[in-house]
Amino acid sequence: MGNLLVMDRRLIARGAERTSTMRFVLWLVPWVALLALGIYAAGLCLYYGLNQTHMDNRFAFGMWIFLDLGMIAMGAGAFFTGFLVYILKQEDLKPILNSAVVVGLICYSGAMAVLMVDVGQPLRAWFTFWHPNTHSMLTEVTFCISCYLLVLILEYVPVLLQNRQLRKVPSFLVFEHQLHKLVPVLAAVGAFLSFFHQGSLGGLYGVLRGRPFAFRQGFAIWPSTFFLFILSAIAVGPSFLMLVTAAVETFAGRRLVGANVFRKLGFISGVLLGAYVAAKAIDTLVWLNITSRAVGFTPGDFYAYKPFGSALMFLEIVPLGLIPAFLLTLPVTARKRGWLLCGAALACSGVLLNRFVLTVQTLALPTLAFDEFLQYTPSWQEVVTFAGVIAYGVILYSLSYRYLPLFGQTKGADKNVSVG
Amino acid sequence: MFPWVDGFHWSPGHIIFLSVFFTVVLIILTTFAWAIWRTASDFRTHRATETCWRLNFAELPEAERRCRHELAGRLPHRVCNNAFDCRHCSKYAEFAVLPSKTVAGNAGVNFSDNLLYHRGHTWVRPEDNGTLTIGLDDFAHHLIGHPDSVYLPAKGSEIESNGIAWRMTKNGHEIGVRAPIDGTVVSTGGAKDAWYLKIRPRKPADLRHLLRGPEVPGWLAGEVDRLQLQFSGPDAPPCMADGGTLLPDLMDVMPAADWDTVLAATFLEG
Repeated sequence: MGNLLVMDRRLIARGAERTSTMRFVLWLVPWVALLALGIYAAGLCLYYGLNQTHMDNRFAFGMWIFLDLGMIAMGAGAFFTGFLVYILKQEDLKPILNSAVVVGLICYSGAMAVLMVDVGQPLRAWFTFWHPNTHSMLTEVTFCISCYLLVLILEYVPVLLQNRQLRKVPSFLVFEHQLHKLVPVLAAVGAFLSFFHQGSLGGLYGVLRGRPFAFRQGFAIWPSTFFLFILSAIAVGPSFLMLVTAAVETFAGRRLVGANVFRKLGFISGVLLGAYVAAKAIDTLVWLNITSRAVGFTPGDFYAYKPFGSALMFLEIVPLGLIPAFLLTLPVTARKRGWLLCGAALACSGVLLNRFVLTVQTLALPTLAFDEFLQYTPSWQEVVTFAGVIAYGVILYSLSYRYLPLFGQTKGADKNVSVG
Repeated sequence: MFPWVDGFHWSPGHIIFLSVFFTVVLIILTTFAWAIWRTASDFRTHRATETCWRLNFAELPEAERRCRHELAGRLPHRVCNNAFDCRHCSKYAEFAVLPSKTVAGNAGVNFSDNLLYHRGHTWVRPEDNGTLTIGLDDFAHHLIGHPDSVYLPAKGSEIESNGIAWRMTKNGHEIGVRAPIDGTVVSTGGAKDAWYLKIRPRKPADLRHLLRGPEVPGWLAGEVDRLQLQFSGPDAPPCMADGGTLLPDLMDVMPAADWDTVLAATFLEG
């Protein structure tokens, strides 16, 4: 026990204030238990197959895909912050960069883990790379996400090597320094990859001619959902970072970044969200009046089935789109931390609802005359598998926060900062 | 994926998609390999120690990076951004001629005007035969007392300025002592001697970066203040000094103190 305390203390950066070892262990215990349960549920799905879930040939996308899409959108804060700092030279966002990398790594690796369970047959997972179907949006998604996960791991390495004990190994320290100098290259590659896989995830639904609820017209080979997914992801990525930072600040009991960082993230998020809401509104009007009517569907056909009424569309565009865009950008609300966080939470909820609608509502609605409205409730294995991913994220972030410099690069930056 | 793999088509879409993918993978792997190559190159050309020191220096709190001219009272406030290497400081000559103010009292920490001091709590004494003798200063002695074990470099080995010259352990804590100067080890002493290493510098030694004269009491006073703050705990308010002096063998006297943090600050762990 004494050794554990000493080891824990020695791993924490000098000058950083962290909770006691015992409290930290107690915090981790339930999450580790949940992770173990999640691994068990995922094991059941991999061993026995997808009969462990409530998905079937008709309802092939369920909770996992919906939440995967949500996680990947939230994880966009990683590439977008890197893009802002290294390419657009927004240096004042630097204090939050390491945290953004960890959030991105958690979101993407978690999404990949769930996708692996969803696709099944892990021994044949390499087929998608070895025999790629280049006409499939999913292939592009697979390639881009795999490559971007590699980029995130490489971006995480310099953060990891800043650990107090690892810094004592000269070769690690020099390698961290050299890799850090090349991070702008990785940030540029990450932005390129993210742009395409966020888009392709949206395009995946937009090209479904057999699903008029999702099918959209677009530009060249890309349906409008391709661009809407990119825009929505980069809009909520910074918002999600704000929420994560605020949550960590609450647990840590101190301010970790200045108010200017919050305001800037909020403004960027709000402006992009406003652009997204405008584009989304235009897209919805075109879809309802032109695209779907061309194949014989009226708006009433899509919104006649409860609980998926037109209120859901209104909720997505106005209370969870337009309103947070105003909250995040208007000076009177953006000055108040509470309003900023409220706007960020609404923005993230809006994009999550969008992913839910495109995944679950698309598959639930009937498309042919003899089709019925389908209902789907995830099995406990689906729920617990995903809960395991959340637990993994909490554990990795907690460990990273405790032992790595996630906020600020110099000693003392981890202590209270001016929030005026 | 490749022309010889089932499913490959010589179609523009296939070629463009795979070309972009391979380019991206190549960029990622090249970036990684480049970082490894640059790291190896730094070690090959003996730049690694300097790089490590500068990275650790950048992590030091501002209060621990005070310029020697501030320590000597020549300037009201100045933070060093040159990794304590006054040999390459463009402002050194300009400030060195200013009048200094000596700090009164030594809080029980002795120092000598005949020795030159490194911020990592070693002293250097030039000898008549051209070698340099290196030892631990009195402040470090007050903290550590008699170390449990000492791991000195072998005779003939090279030490690099600000690299780890030797290691010691005390009460389970490992302490790396930074070298004040480059050179080849010609003789080793130990805790029982008054010195630890004698080295022959690679070239005529430029010792300008080492503290001397009125800089030393100012620096040691700051170190004693830092030690008081570290012992008083994170939430304790700043207190007036009581005029006391440091006890010897503090690691034995105060075993429950946060020695990990104290030693890291004392020996410039970063």
